[in-house]
Formats: sequence, structure tokens, C-alpha cells
Amino acid sequence: MKERNKPILEVKGLKTHFTTKRGVSKAVDGIDFTLHKGETLGIVGESGCGKSMTSLSILRLIPSPPGKIAGGSVLFKGRDLVTMPEDEMRKIRGNEISMIFQEPMTSLNPVIPVGEQIAEALRLHQKMGKKAAWDKSVEMLKMVGIPSPEKRAKQEPFQLSGGMRQRVMIAMALACTPEVLIADEPTTALDVTIQAQILELIKELQTKIGMGVIMITHDLGVVAETCDKVAVMYAGNIVEHASTEQIFADPKHPYTQGLLNSLPKIHEDQEELITIDGSVPSPYNMPAGCRFASRCPYAEDICAAHQPDLVSYSEDIKVRCWKYTDKWTGKRDKEGVV
Amino acid sequence: MNTTAEKNIILQVDRLKQYFPVKKDSIFKPKAYVKAVDDISFELFEGETLSIVGESGCGKSTTGRAILRLDEPTDGKVLYMGKNILTLNKKDMRKLRGDLQVIFQDPFASLNPRQMVKQILNEAMAIQNVVEKSKRKERMLELLGYVGLPPESLDRYPHEFSGGQRQRIGIARALAVNPKLIICDEAVSALDVSIQAQILNLLKKLQKQFKLTFLFISHDLSVVRHISDRVMVMYLGKVVEIAEKKEMFDSPLHPYTKALLSSIPVPDPTLKRDRVILKGDVPSPIDPPGGCRFHTRCPFAIEKCKQEEPPLRELVNNHFVSCHIAETLPV
Amino acid sequence: MLMFILRRILQTIPVIIGVTFVVFFIMQLVPGDPAVLLAGEGASKETIEAIREQLGLNQPLYIQYFEYLTNVFKGDLGVSLKNSQPVLDEILVRLPITIELAFFSIIITIVLGMAAGIISAVKPYSLTDVSVMLVALLGISLPSFWFGLMLMYFFSVKLQILPVAGWDSLLHVILPAITLGAGGAAIVARMTRSSMLEVIRQDYIRTARAKGLRERIIIYKHALRNALIPVITVVGLQFGALLGGTVLVESIFAINGLGRMIVDAIRMRDLPMVQGGVLFASLIFVVVNLFVDVFYRFFNKRIELN
Ligand SMILES: Nc1ncnc2c1ncn2[C@@H]1O[C@H](COP(=O)(O)OP(=O)(O)OP(=O)(O)O)[C@@H](O)[C@H]1O
Ligand SMILES: Nc1ncnc2c1ncn2[C@@H]1O[C@H](COP(=O)(O)OP(=O)(O)OP(=O)(O)O)[C@@H](O)[C@H]1O
Ligand code: SF4
Ligand code: SF4
Ligand SMILES: [Mg+2]
Ligand SMILES: [Mg+2]
Repeated sequence: MKERNKPILEVKGLKTHFTTKRGVSKAVDGIDFTLHKGETLGIVGESGCGKSMTSLSILRLIPSPPGKIAGGSVLFKGRDLVTMPEDEMRKIRGNEISMIFQEPMTSLNPVIPVGEQIAEALRLHQKMGKKAAWDKSVEMLKMVGIPSPEKRAKQEPFQLSGGMRQRVMIAMALACTPEVLIADEPTTALDVTIQAQILELIKELQTKIGMGVIMITHDLGVVAETCDKVAVMYAGNIVEHASTEQIFADPKHPYTQGLLNSLPKIHEDQEELITIDGSVPSPYNMPAGCRFASRCPYAEDICAAHQPDLVSYSEDIKVRCWKYTDKWTGKRDKEGVV
Repeated sequence: MNTTAEKNIILQVDRLKQYFPVKKDSIFKPKAYVKAVDDISFELFEGETLSIVGESGCGKSTTGRAILRLDEPTDGKVLYMGKNILTLNKKDMRKLRGDLQVIFQDPFASLNPRQMVKQILNEAMAIQNVVEKSKRKERMLELLGYVGLPPESLDRYPHEFSGGQRQRIGIARALAVNPKLIICDEAVSALDVSIQAQILNLLKKLQKQFKLTFLFISHDLSVVRHISDRVMVMYLGKVVEIAEKKEMFDSPLHPYTKALLSSIPVPDPTLKRDRVILKGDVPSPIDPPGGCRFHTRCPFAIEKCKQEEPPLRELVNNHFVSCHIAETLPV
Repeated sequence: MLMFILRRILQTIPVIIGVTFVVFFIMQLVPGDPAVLLAGEGASKETIEAIREQLGLNQPLYIQYFEYLTNVFKGDLGVSLKNSQPVLDEILVRLPITIELAFFSIIITIVLGMAAGIISAVKPYSLTDVSVMLVALLGISLPSFWFGLMLMYFFSVKLQILPVAGWDSLLHVILPAITLGAGGAAIVARMTRSSMLEVIRQDYIRTARAKGLRERIIIYKHALRNALIPVITVVGLQFGALLGGTVLVESIFAINGLGRMIVDAIRMRDLPMVQGGVLFASLIFVVVNLFVDVFYRFFNKRIELN
């Protein structure tokens, strides 16, 4: 999958804003990335930085009001989803682009058996008959490793465990073999063995039909194992974009460095985990300069004054930090990371 | 993490069972049950963290819910400071609810969508009456600080937050009432690692300060390794292994535990490891296999495993395992 | 579920006995001596005494009540003072009319109310929504007798497309049913709207959208079922109010239903008739509540467990 195929999804300058009584929250503030056929892009970043809102914006599922796509475009096979008429958009949702939602507990309808919730998309997009769609949904449940799938299909969500509900969501998203899968924290409720099985299943579909995957996760282990490239987000922006190997081996942006530092180490004992001091700026009141400046150990005058752009550092590394530009006057090494 | 001998037992779970009825295919068939939790016993010491890990659907959340009496267990006892809470009346139970708190994976389901964060926190404090009215606002801001949310969050509704932010509201609410025992059901799973680290540090600090006890349910084994004193492994409604954390991670005894520990994804893309991939379908708790419940997938199963259920026995000091041949297995 | 229905039916028994108790004591509360009332003005002492004897009015109260209860269970509600016909016969003639009226009214309450609520909720704060809710507000605040008279004036007197009063054809049902159902419809509409708006915000509705389902299916299949749960309770409550309203509406439109019968009986001081009427009205109320409860429970079962 390393050979650069055709781009299937191109996000350009995407902005999603929420207008509320307290002002405008710039949840997503100018995001650019490209997803190619068969490729997996990881999106990681601080809780609340706009990962989910980015993915919801792609499918135009932002709660509106108060949310609104305030700018940019999302090209899917060359067509702009942002301006597409609603009925065409509907044919894409769940069929060509599917999404696994972050909250498996609340994302399933409490009064409809889970089998039916999977089957209805099959009937709609694949024009399957009632029986065929039901059988297929049972098969999907089996594929995601749910035991006694015939019985489980007839149950309602409250009768399933958290991980089972999450797998129902996954089965639902994969049922119509989409070309793009947006997976928002797809494996948080799964144990590692099932997680491995699910990631394997996704990979299989990728090689078989060339599905492109956007993998949003905070589990850096999952990122390392599944993603080809990674976008690191911070406060509504992408701050670093590079290949997976690159990100783990030599993170450039100070936030990425801090993030990798706070990982609990599985093979050693630590009394206290390393954290990044301070907190994210309020989305209602973003600073004029670099959004990470208040927490960055390297911050200089220029950081507080002007927001850096996301610029190419090398062929496949992009980073949004003054440190890597010729405007930088301070030290250039990465000593002193906290 | 000193020896267990000198510790007080705060919670003792004794032969707990939780069966849920399943819809029958026909009225002539006998009634079927999901044996979600099937006769488990363990204890929690004051001030410790016991983690429960295990396959999805093995009964971890059900155990937690049963302890809190969110479902009424089918059978068994749950002794909190020596009193069986399963027989308490509503009034006494309500008093106890302040001591026992729970943090769910997806607190959105339990956060009232029509209440702002300040109302949610205020209500929690008011019900248990733990903080004077005049000091509540101050306490709320302190709690938000703990979980890394800005003060203006007080005036927002749950749906205006991201997944991880909601989870932190749930954590703040649980901490608001000064509980003694907190059941954390995937409590940090929606958080990115830096916030996760911050919350784990906080939980550890509070634990030291107030002798809090945690029952920690998580799939993230690196988190489990960081936070736990002891670890309990469940499989299909049964406890298959309990040991001190270090012992568990260094020398797991049960074949299931071994498989589990070998599939942890490692945040290092250059590393390709040998995984024990379990063969065979996951059996169903509606119709669990007889004998050792793991025998359908166990690479070491012998004839005896199909017939006889292995008891949970202490093999090494404080290391319990339920496997007929644990001592002879390769390390 | 079966257990629940059974338990719920058993629970109604004390309620029914309570009702008979209250109804019986209406008799006692009426000023004046019932025997005198029964005998009519200017009857002789002997006649009155005879009536008293015949009705057992000399006996202690609890025995009287007990006898009344046995009679009720035997289906004997006494005879009308007006025309000496058995009260039960009269009720059985009137009851179907009132049930018919109530039935059509509740249909209007449900269908009109829910439809309006859904239309409003689909496009909140739009012109349609604002106008529908304004009408609903009017519907709640207008007194129903005035509303009934206006309807009558407009459709029967001015346009002359509907009959003024009476109860002969289905056309006669329309105006009274609208009068009676409108208030409830307005309340149901507001409830449906707010409940729908809350449900539409839920994550699972977003999931349904993400599947590419049509808005119509999202509304009817995914949202409505969850939104209806609180609405059902409101409908149940409305049924009670509606039964009360029949008295008024039957009087306005000159319909010979149970409500009007009770009013007439009160006016004529026809006590056995009042007793019988109130007893039946209460029974209907109890039965309806039973149904609402079972229905609600059925819908709510999963939610509760969640
Ligand atoms: N309805 C809303 N009104 C106002 N602000 C909102 C609303 N929904 C989300 N936001 C804000 O948008 C920002 C981005 O949220 P988003 O859900 O995309 O975060 P995330 O990166 O997915 O975080 P997490 O990892 O915690 O899920 C958050 O700061 C959140 O508070
Ligand atoms: N209310 C219920 N009715 C019927 N079955 C239930 C109910 N709650 C749980 N179960 C069943 O009990 C079993 C154990 O569920 P539980 O939620 O405890 O699993 P878990 O170990 O927490 O899994 P996960 O890691 O996926 O959250 C599952 O098979 C589930 O389907
Ligand atoms: S621009 Fe400045 S403040 Fe921002 S990350 Fe780079 S060094 Fe730190
Ligand atoms: S008892 Fe047998 S089947 Fe069970 S874990 Fe041990 S070896 Fe495997
Ligand atoms: Mg999110
Ligand atoms: Mg669980």
C-alpha cells in the first residue's frame, strides 16, 4: 500500500465552527489532508482538539445549528461533499463512506434489535431482500467475533456488553463494504485479542477492495500497527503530518514529542506518568500565535505573536512550528523536553 | 503494595452470579440464560487498585454493576465493610451510594442532557450532602481543574463536549462526593494519552491521600499495569487468574492470560512480535462449554479439561489460577 | 409482562371498590332525606316510611353500603325516579354514544396532536413550527365551550355544511369530536414536539443519518418510537380530561350521552341515575388507565432497563 495510489478523499482548508451564546467555537480550523486508496491515515491529538468534528464534517453530520461548515472543501473521488445536494449525499453515507462512532453506548437505537440496525443499510444500499439482508447482518456479527450471532442479532443494545455494541457499530459500518471508512476510536471498548481480530478484518477489506481508512485513536499502539501515515491535531489544527515510522522515530512538533512521552510504558514501572503541563486554549478564544505556546518548553517571542503555518520540513514531513523555519532564532536541538 | 496480610478487606464478593434471560426460540424449549457472571468470588483491600481484564463480554461490567446493585444479582453476596449490600433496603442503599461511585466508559448515557455541568455536579453534592452550599462553587472549580477542564465548562451542556471531555465530567462527578470505593469501567479509555496520564496520576494521588479503593475495569493493559496493585483475569463469566500485578505481567500462568498479554499492541511500528492468536470461535455465555470454559480454544487442553471444571487454586504465593495443568505449562 | 398485567388488574379491584364507596356516599351527602326526595313533594308520612323500609334506609350505614355493593355486582343499579326505568338500561343506551364520542375525540387528540408535533419538530423554529405551536397554544388556552359554539356557528349556522346538534349520522360526530379533542391535541402536539427535538439530538439518530437513510425513515422508524414514550403518558392523562369534557360537549351539542344524562339527572335530582352514571364513568376511567399503564410499560421496558 505504500505506492501512492489515486487520492480518494482530499480535505482542503476544512473549517467547522459552532456559534453559541458564548461566542464562536472554532472546533475545526483549517484542516488539510489526503487519503489514498487502500491507505490508512491515523489522526491523533488531545481530547477535544476536533478529531470527531473533522470526521463528522466530512459526512456533513455536524449538529446544525449550532455547528456549521464554515469553509473549505472535501473532495471524494473528485466531487465536493460540502456543496453536494442532500439526496446525493445520502447515497454516499453508509454506502461509499461509512463511519464508526466514538460512543458505542449511545450510538445504537435503544428500541431496535441490533440485527435490524445493520440490515436496514443493506436493504437500502445493496437492494437486498429482507431475508438476505438479515442473513448478511448475522454473518457480519459473526465476522466481528460475536458468539451466537443469530441470537444476538435479535437482542436490543442494552442486552449486549460494551464491546459487543462497539462491534455491532463496526459490523454496521463495514456491511456495505465502503470505499472510505472513518473509524472514530473503533476499539476503545475491545480487549486486545478482539481488537487484533477487528484490525485484521479491516486490513483484509483494505487489501481486497482498496478501502481507505481514517483511524482516529488515542491508542498509539493501534496507530503504530495499522497506520501508514499520521496527522497530529492540536486545538483545531493539524500540527504535524508524517509517515508512521517517522512520527514514532523522530517526532518534530513539541506537542507530538510531549504526547509520545506521556505513554505509559508497558515494560517498565513508573511511579508517575509524564504529562504535558498546562491545558488547551479555549476554542472560543484562541490565541493569536501558536496555540501550543502556553505549554511549549521552547516557546519564543515569535510564537506568541504569530501562528505558524503547516509547512513541509522534508518530503513527507509537514510541521506547524516556528522552530523548523528560518525565522527561528533559538536553539534547534530537542534537549530539555519535559 | 505491601503484603496483603495487613490490609483490611473493604469489599468481599462471594459466589456472585448474574444470569440474564434470553428470548426463547420456541415456547417448548427450556428457558435459556446468559450466564454473564457465574459464581465468582474475590476481595478488595482498602486503598488498593484491583483491575479486572478479560475478553469483551466476559462479565466485567456486569460484576461492577452487580456490586452497585444497578442490576439485581441472581445469587451470591457482596459484603461492603462486612455488610451484605444486596439485602439492604432502599434507604440504606442510598446512603451507601455516596461511598460507592462509578465512572462509566460513556458517561453521556448517564449525564442528564438537560442539565449544565454545574447542575450535574451540584446535584451530586446535594444528594450526598458532602459539601456546604456556600463552598460548592469553589469545589466545582477545583474538580474541573483536577480533570483538566476550563472553568467555563460549568455553563455548558453535555452534548457540547467531545467524547473525552464528557468522560472527564463523569470523573469529576464521581469525585465530587468523596467516595471510598470507585468502580472505573473503562474510565479513561476515551482519553488521549497525555490527559489519560494526568487523570491516572490524579487517581493515584487521591488514592494515597484518602485511602481510596479502585476496582478498575480496562482493556488497556499498559494502563492496567500502571495503576493496579493486583490484577484479576476473567473469562466467560469466571475468574481464571488473580495475582499481584508484577507477578501477573511477568509470569502469567493461565493459557488465556498468556494469549491476552501477548497481543498488546506496542507503540513502535518497527516492532513485529509473535502473538499467540487464539484459534476457534469465542464460545457463547448463553451456552458455555462444560469443564474448563477455555478448553475449546486452549492450545494445551487435555481430556480432563472437557470433563472437569478446574478450581481456582493458589499456585504460588497469592497467585491464584484455575487451570488443571498450570504448573506444567511452558513459560 | 404477564405477571405485571395480572398484578395491575388485581390492583384495580380496591380502586373499583373505592369508587362504589364514594358513589354510595354521594347519596348520603345530598341535603335532605332521600326517602322524602324519592316520594316526591307532598307525599304522606306512610308513603315515606314505606319507601324508607323498602330501600332499607333504616338500617345502619354499613349494611346499606354492603347491600348496595351486592346489588351493583348483580347489575342492579336501582330505578330512575323520573321514569321508573332501571338505571342500567338507560346507561347501556347512553354509554355507546359517549364511548363513540370519546373514541373519535381521542383519535383526533392523538392523530392531530402527534402530526402537528412531528411537523413542528422536523423543522424547528421555522415558520411552520411557529404557526403550529401558536395554534396549539390557542388550543390550550381557549375554553372548550366557546370553541364548540364557534365551530357550531361557523360550520353549521354560517356555512351550513354540518348539522347543528344531535347524534344521527357520522357527520354529527365531527364538530363535537373536534371540540372535545382539540385541547388534548394541542397538549399532545407540544409534548410530541419537545420529545422529538430531544430524541433527534441523540447519537443514534446521527448513526441513522450516517447510514444514508431518508429523513422520513429516520423520523418514523428511529426517532418516533423513542419520542412517543413520554407522549403516551400524556395521552393517558388526556383521556381523563376528555371524559370530563364529554359532559360539557354533550350539553352544547345536545347529544344524549352519559355525560348529559348525568347532568340531567343532577338537575332532576334523580339520585339513582346520578349514582349509576358516575359509577360507570369512573369504571371507564379505571379501565382506560389500566390500558395506558400496560401499554406504557410495554414501550418503556427496554428504556427502564437501559
Ligand atoms: N455542540 C457543540 N457546541 C459547542 N462546542 C462543541 C459542540 N460539540 C463539540 N464542541 C467542541 O468542539 C471541540 C472539538 O470536539 P471533538 O468532538 O471534535 O473533539 P475530539 O478531538 O474528537 O476529542 P475526543 O478525543 O475527546 O473525542 C471541543 O472543544 C468541543 O467542546
Ligand atoms: N441487561 C442485560 N440483559 C441481557 N444480557 C445482558 C445484560 N447485560 C449484560 N448482558 C450480557 O452479559 C454478558 C456480560 O456482559 P458485560 O457487559 O459484563 O461484559 P464486559 O465484560 O463488560 O464486556 P465489555 O468488555 O465488552 O464491556 C454479555 O454476554 C452480555 O450480552
Ligand atoms: S511554534 Fe513555538 S510555541 Fe509553537 S510549538 Fe513551535 S516552538 Fe512551541
Ligand atoms: S484447564 Fe485445560 S483447557 Fe483449561 S486452561 Fe488449563 S489446560 Fe487449558
Ligand atoms: Mg471524539
Ligand atoms: Mg463492559
